[in-house]
Amino acid sequence: MKFQQIDQFAANLRADTRESVHSGSKAGHEKRTSVLFDHYADPNRLRQIAGEIKQHVVENLDTYLPAVEARLQANGVIVHWASTAEAANEAVYSILQARGAKKMVKAKTMVSEETELGHFLEKRGIECVETDLGEFIIQIDGDHPSHIVKPIIHKNRREIATSFERHGLGAYNDDPETITRRARAHLRHKYLEADVGLTGANFVVAESGRIVLVTNEGNSRFCLAATKCHIAMIGIEKILPRDRDLGLLLNLLARSGTGQQLTVYTEFIRGPKAAPQEDGPEETHVVFVDNGRSEVLASDCREILRCIRCGACLNVCPVYRQASGHAYRSVYPGPVGAVLSPLLAGKQFPELADLPKASSLCGACNEVCPVNIPIPDLLLRLREKGKREGSEAAAAATPPMGAWSVMATQPAAWKLAMFGGKIMNVLPAKYIPVPALQAWQAKRTLPAWRGGAFRSWLRTRAQPAADVRSAKSEG
Amino acid sequence: MSSDRDSILSRVRSALAPLPERAALPDWERELVIMRNARGAVDAVALFSERLVLVNGTPLTSAADLVALLEKNGWRRGYCDPALWPGLQAAFPATFTVETLFDRSRVDDYQFGITAAAGGIAETGTVILTDGGTSRRLAALAPWVHVAVLSRRTIFVDVPEAVAALGSDPNIIWCTGPSKTADVEGILIEGVHGPGIQVALLVD
Amino acid sequence: MLNHERPPITQRRVQLMATCLCDAFYDDVARATVEVLEHLGVEVEFPEGQTCCGQPAFNGGDWEASRKVVRHTVRTFSGDLPVVVPSGSCAAMLFHGAPLEFEKESDRASVEALGRRTWEVLDFIVNGLGITSWPGRYDAKVAFHRSCHSRGTGTGEAATRLLGSIAGLTVAPFGEGEQCCGFGGTFSVSFPTISSAMGGLKLDHIRAVAPDALVSADMSCLMHLGGLAEKEGKPIKVLHAVQVLRDALRQGGLI
Repeated sequence: MKFQQIDQFAANLRADTRESVHSGSKAGHEKRTSVLFDHYADPNRLRQIAGEIKQHVVENLDTYLPAVEARLQANGVIVHWASTAEAANEAVYSILQARGAKKMVKAKTMVSEETELGHFLEKRGIECVETDLGEFIIQIDGDHPSHIVKPIIHKNRREIATSFERHGLGAYNDDPETITRRARAHLRHKYLEADVGLTGANFVVAESGRIVLVTNEGNSRFCLAATKCHIAMIGIEKILPRDRDLGLLLNLLARSGTGQQLTVYTEFIRGPKAAPQEDGPEETHVVFVDNGRSEVLASDCREILRCIRCGACLNVCPVYRQASGHAYRSVYPGPVGAVLSPLLAGKQFPELADLPKASSLCGACNEVCPVNIPIPDLLLRLREKGKREGSEAAAAATPPMGAWSVMATQPAAWKLAMFGGKIMNVLPAKYIPVPALQAWQAKRTLPAWRGGAFRSWLRTRAQPAADVRSAKSEG
Repeated sequence: MSSDRDSILSRVRSALAPLPERAALPDWERELVIMRNARGAVDAVALFSERLVLVNGTPLTSAADLVALLEKNGWRRGYCDPALWPGLQAAFPATFTVETLFDRSRVDDYQFGITAAAGGIAETGTVILTDGGTSRRLAALAPWVHVAVLSRRTIFVDVPEAVAALGSDPNIIWCTGPSKTADVEGILIEGVHGPGIQVALLVD
Repeated sequence: MLNHERPPITQRRVQLMATCLCDAFYDDVARATVEVLEHLGVEVEFPEGQTCCGQPAFNGGDWEASRKVVRHTVRTFSGDLPVVVPSGSCAAMLFHGAPLEFEKESDRASVEALGRRTWEVLDFIVNGLGITSWPGRYDAKVAFHRSCHSRGTGTGEAATRLLGSIAGLTVAPFGEGEQCCGFGGTFSVSFPTISSAMGGLKLDHIRAVAPDALVSADMSCLMHLGGLAEKEGKPIKVLHAVQVLRDALRQGGLI
């Protein structure tokens, strides 16, 4: 393998796709930053505390999970547990079967992307309609989302208009407003015909059992206004301790994700509707999904379970902007995905162990993260794991370090190498069979080799540096 | 499923068992999330109206203004919460068809829906709907125009204050401006699945 | 993330870690570091056995190889003098990266101790020695790239403060200044497409302000950006900030 897979993907990416991803993520980041810093004197303090709250939850899931279950049940919610993706899908399917349900509408939920719920249900004869505009377009295209918050960041309006035409949603028209109106007209009848509405959850609060959902389009609200049964698929790490913590996390989530103070709809669900309300679910189910999370919890990367899926790290990431989300070959792209996806892959970790390499370790992701996840440190730990487990994907195009570590621990050998490197000044790079050197030279020049010149200057200058001799005892 | 429950909890316990100590739950001061420009004494009603406009919502202060807005746009068919209608009826001319029963088989027949808001949030321009206080979830969502009738006395200053007052209603939704998306090329389009026009009719 | 508590500077004597890049390519940067420190009355020791901080293997995932090199570095820089490095990246390796890869090692304490006395040179001048303005003269407009490994440290502010105080010198701000240059160590050769595209965006912003030179506190970023620019046939002059400090002293007739 000549280069890393993500680099190859970036090299083959269509220019207009790269431009869509680049401009979309850059705009998202700039909006986020201006809103946070305009509104708060010290946004970093907010991020730190939110991170501490989430870290506390992660490290106390053994007590929070039974507590939140009891609270939900007391509120009249039926709680299910699923160890695996398959079990989660089966849990949803059995709820549908018990109701004789044939049609489901669903709001955007990343955990259902992990379990590929839509495909699972369609194979069993259930109509499962994505209602978030972006996810709806992904569904009719048979595509995959490429961003956590903006699933179709990689598509332009012309592609969308073509998809709508092909799907029988009117003649070609690439005006975004027309596209949106057509989706509105098509989808509202889907909600009203559906038996069940499925959502994820942004938070579930331990002390109150509130399930909190944030959206902008109103689709999850429509799912919960039109259907008689609500199923929420929730990753086991989504817990917040107290209602009051929502005051911090909601303020951070919207600003980090979309640069808004609050998303348009913030919904707090305690359970089935109560009379006299006519609209809404008579039955509320929560499916708690593990699907690899407990393994992440056991690892030295458990901080990634703080993630609230805002997408800020994708927006700021210079690698994501060049490569696009599909380069990551998994549900979660960008910096968070480069940590989470290989970990969630479990035994398939080595296949995705190249993802943590797709970073210049610039640290911008940590700087924007609303829960202050030390993403670069986690990427480094996973690089080490990939190396230790002998992942071929991770090793691709990575210079071997054996010879370097021998030289760098033996000063005499080091000095010899400093001298020997001068060959590069006379021999063209193409004759030097070092892949890393050739990869460097393909895009950049190398400065002149001046190995040892500083040490010579230090030795020979008129006024020697203080006490060079004392240092000679070393090495 | 009980076996999944037990195995998840058992894996979680064994994952956490080796930790020498667990991260403590930090406390935090409400001050932390008070926005720069909302410090000091705040006129909640004025701030609410200002912020609602910033999220492209429409604050109104009289039934007559509401009728004028609806007339101007030709929105003459709608729904009104039966509890609110007696107080509003006088302002609506006979050219309007206003129903007090919402028929979900004809959602597109309603151009507007007038429902009661349980409260508002000033710093965000948010109207709060509860199951107990809002006659129909669908009537506040499906029509192009949603009119939330909001008492000035129920406006919270900020998000933490509104969170503290959530209470026990089975379903509470905060609506901050009209429904919107930026999924297509990041271009803002309002009125996706929910209302394209969000009105707050402020009453005493 | 990278900030760390360091003991206050009580004596004017330091150990210089020249870095492998200065050893191999940029001797004048190491030399300028010595000249600048000596101008400030700081005695500079150069432990001859020094090689590399261990970062290439650390970033590449080969922590076993990296730890060997870090252990060598710990032995080489024995004692308790401040260690001064003309690189934000190598400094961060010593106070942040190395402790991370030694978390489960029995000799973690000695690695952390070295980290605590390690300073990036500009950070040392401003926050260690308390020097906040620079004498001499340097007639130029420069663009300053704050390298990513100095995020959360005192380096960026120290550099802009010192550079901004030099007579004749203008520091021209450019677009998206916070963005990475795309180097990233081994990333630059295993992800050459993305790395060079990132560098290209950076160069566009830098060229837009037409500086006389591009200045940074990390030669790795400058090697990447300078190498890209030269490959494109549109070379730019690159300088480490200590070279500017040294040249300002020269032009001012102070050394």
